Amino acid sequence: MKVLVPVKRVIDYNVKVRVKADGSGVDLANVKMSMNPFDEIAVEEAIRLKEAGKVEEIVLVSIGVKQAQETIRTGLAMGADRGILVVAAEDVQQDIEPLAVAKILAKVVEEEQPGLVIMGKQAIDNDMNATGQMLAALMGWAQATFASKLDVDGDSATVTREVDGGLQTIRVNLPAVVTADLRLNEPRYASLPNIMKAKKKPIDEKTPADYGVDVSPRLEVVKTTEPPVRKAGEIVGSVDELVTKLKDAGVI
Amino acid sequence: MTTPPLNPADDAFAARLRAAGLPEDAFRPVEPRYLEERRGLLQGRAGLVVAPRVTEEVATVIRAANTARVGVVPYGGGTGLVGGQVCADGPAPLVLSLERMGAIRGVWPEENVLVAEAGAVLAEVQAAAEAVDRLFPLSLASEGTARIGGTLATNAGGVNVLRYGNARELCLGIEAVLPDGSVMHGLKRLRKDNTGYDLRGLLVGAEGTLGVITAAALRLFPRPAREGTALMVVASPRAALELLALAGARVGPGLNAFELISGQGMGFLAETGCTARVPFTDLPDWAVLIDLGLGPGDDPEAALADLFEAGAAAGLVSDGVIAHSEAQRAGLWAMREQIPEANKRVGAIGSHDISLPLSAIPDFLVVAGEAVARLGPYRVNAFGHLGDGNLHYNVFPPEGRTKSDFPGAREIVARTVHDIVAGFDGSFSAEHGVGRFKVDDLARYGDPARLAVMRAIKAALDPQGIMNPGAVLG
Ligand SMILES: Cc1cc2nc3c(=O)[nH]c(=O)nc-3n(C[C@H](O)[C@H](O)[C@H](O)COP(=O)(O)OP(=O)(O)OC[C@H]3O[C@@H](n4cnc5c(N)ncnc54)[C@H](O)[C@@H]3O)c2cc1C
Repeated sequence: MKVLVPVKRVIDYNVKVRVKADGSGVDLANVKMSMNPFDEIAVEEAIRLKEAGKVEEIVLVSIGVKQAQETIRTGLAMGADRGILVVAAEDVQQDIEPLAVAKILAKVVEEEQPGLVIMGKQAIDNDMNATGQMLAALMGWAQATFASKLDVDGDSATVTREVDGGLQTIRVNLPAVVTADLRLNEPRYASLPNIMKAKKKPIDEKTPADYGVDVSPRLEVVKTTEPPVRKAGEIVGSVDELVTKLKDAGVI
Repeated sequence: MTTPPLNPADDAFAARLRAAGLPEDAFRPVEPRYLEERRGLLQGRAGLVVAPRVTEEVATVIRAANTARVGVVPYGGGTGLVGGQVCADGPAPLVLSLERMGAIRGVWPEENVLVAEAGAVLAEVQAAAEAVDRLFPLSLASEGTARIGGTLATNAGGVNVLRYGNARELCLGIEAVLPDGSVMHGLKRLRKDNTGYDLRGLLVGAEGTLGVITAAALRLFPRPAREGTALMVVASPRAALELLALAGARVGPGLNAFELISGQGMGFLAETGCTARVPFTDLPDWAVLIDLGLGPGDDPEAALADLFEAGAAAGLVSDGVIAHSEAQRAGLWAMREQIPEANKRVGAIGSHDISLPLSAIPDFLVVAGEAVARLGPYRVNAFGHLGDGNLHYNVFPPEGRTKSDFPGAREIVARTVHDIVAGFDGSFSAEHGVGRFKVDDLARYGDPARLAVMRAIKAALDPQGIMNPGAVLG
């Protein structure tokens, strides 16, 4: 079986995000970019399936700017087999919306005919949590979202889902779309010998036009603002000082 | 020294401090935390604990102590590893804690200077620098507790010495209260100031024996725009050194850290249930953690991959992993940073903070390894700041036994290791200092002329011997 894993290049989870002065979005120039953490989990899960002998080939797809090639290389160094880069934007600030991404992925799926698509449950930059569901709908496939456990058995998969207040286990027929939640696995580091090997792994370069998909935005960002800053605490030297301060603040 | 014995910091002395104007809130209860040594090797004593709020109050305390001949132990975060902040013998001293002098007095981003009081916690100083988009590069596993005064008094090192230097090199000027109670105003924010003896350099590393550091002007740096971390399996310590040279040639000053990790250390992490994940199924004998900090247009991950490729071609490296997110960088560093904790859980017979000329390290490891093996069935975890020639050479009981099964071994092991270090022209204390634990080592290995100068300096500045009695020179 072939597995398709879409991977998105996003601002690194640990980078302090700065809103652009004009409020049009977040400043992405000169900041550390990494693979979306949930996509990393999806790649890891695909590799584990391959190591278990249930999968023959892992194909990565990234849709975005040209630099997303680095994100594909990272996945190849983890153990995926080849990549497809769909260059859909020139400006690093431009985000491709979930529906456009899902439409492109649907075309890739038609071409590649994977038995399973594993993808992150959401991208940490726009937090849309929509692409996987949209892809399943476009394909008319089963979907198993928020997976914390995945077992593939013949032509079906058993998936444990993280739902409000507990876990739900479902069985879906393949082909299906599974979206990865945080607890599915802990992704491995890319090994340096594999990075050397990954340089030779093929990456196909495409454009949205190749798939006949229009990626122009349908949403308009009206405003982006920083979350309110928490006021710094203060360390007091004694109980008396604390009481005085609380009185001054009119709390007691 | 033939100074008369000191007096205890008793109630009468407390009364003198009050009479001299030390406010009531400066008096602290004598809590156990001021008297503990983290490995339980010493039980400290104190007649009084005071925590002044301003430099003038420190001066009041020291002046009174000098007059009354009462010993003073300066106390920062209490994380020192050589017993410098814990006085176990003699008349109960006064512990002078800097915990209430934690202000950042000023930040000059355009000058790359920050002035902090001695009680500022290292992590807070790092955060204050980050707030103005600068880096204060001093970084130790104890940074959440250690205070600036303590790191300067011990001339602390840590993981970034290779690139930025140790605490002394990060300090432009200090303000200190000298043993007679006078205040030395030396908070110069100058990089060039050739106006006589280097008293800043003298008080830094003096471990509280020449005065109390109350504030310091510290150097800041631009933050590296792009950072990357890799862990590479090296064939041997010699291969690690060759890789270091290769890295220096390729990335030059961009090398933040080059840390040696032994297979034994990785084994300890798993054995003691530490959370850090070792990314190899078969533990290698040796690995190095390499951290790069480069400019905005650079790609540290590519630089590390290229370094690995060159190292592999030269037969120096065989395997390795690279962090491709900040979370993974933290994960690799956690491995390095949790090794001291793992060591603590296993329980070392002896830990040795040694430094050696870089090229002597491979031979030292062989010679010392053989000598330790002759002493008993011990396990050795040698790790640390290879780029600085600084190894933490720690000796442990075999699996299933504890250090209490080997009474008396600590001293014999230390003597053996330190003698070999001296034979290679190394140092028995690279970054932790002398404190009280290494007084005998200093007497044994120190150059006689140098020791004589140190004693003369001590006698000139502190004729009564009140400052941190028993530390460094004994
Ligand atoms: C987990 C751990 C990791 C560590 N890692 C490193 C490392 O990588 N590199 C390294 O170099 N060290 C390391 N250390 C030890 C290091 O020396 C201390 O962490 C730190 O430098 C001491 O700061 P402190 O404020 O805790 O000082 P304390 O322990 O309170 O005091 C240390 C010495 O300085 C004196 N002193 C304290 N404040 C002043 C002052 N204001 N004026 C004059 N004298 C003063 C004390 O009397 C004592 O002699 C580590 C310690 C721990 C516990």
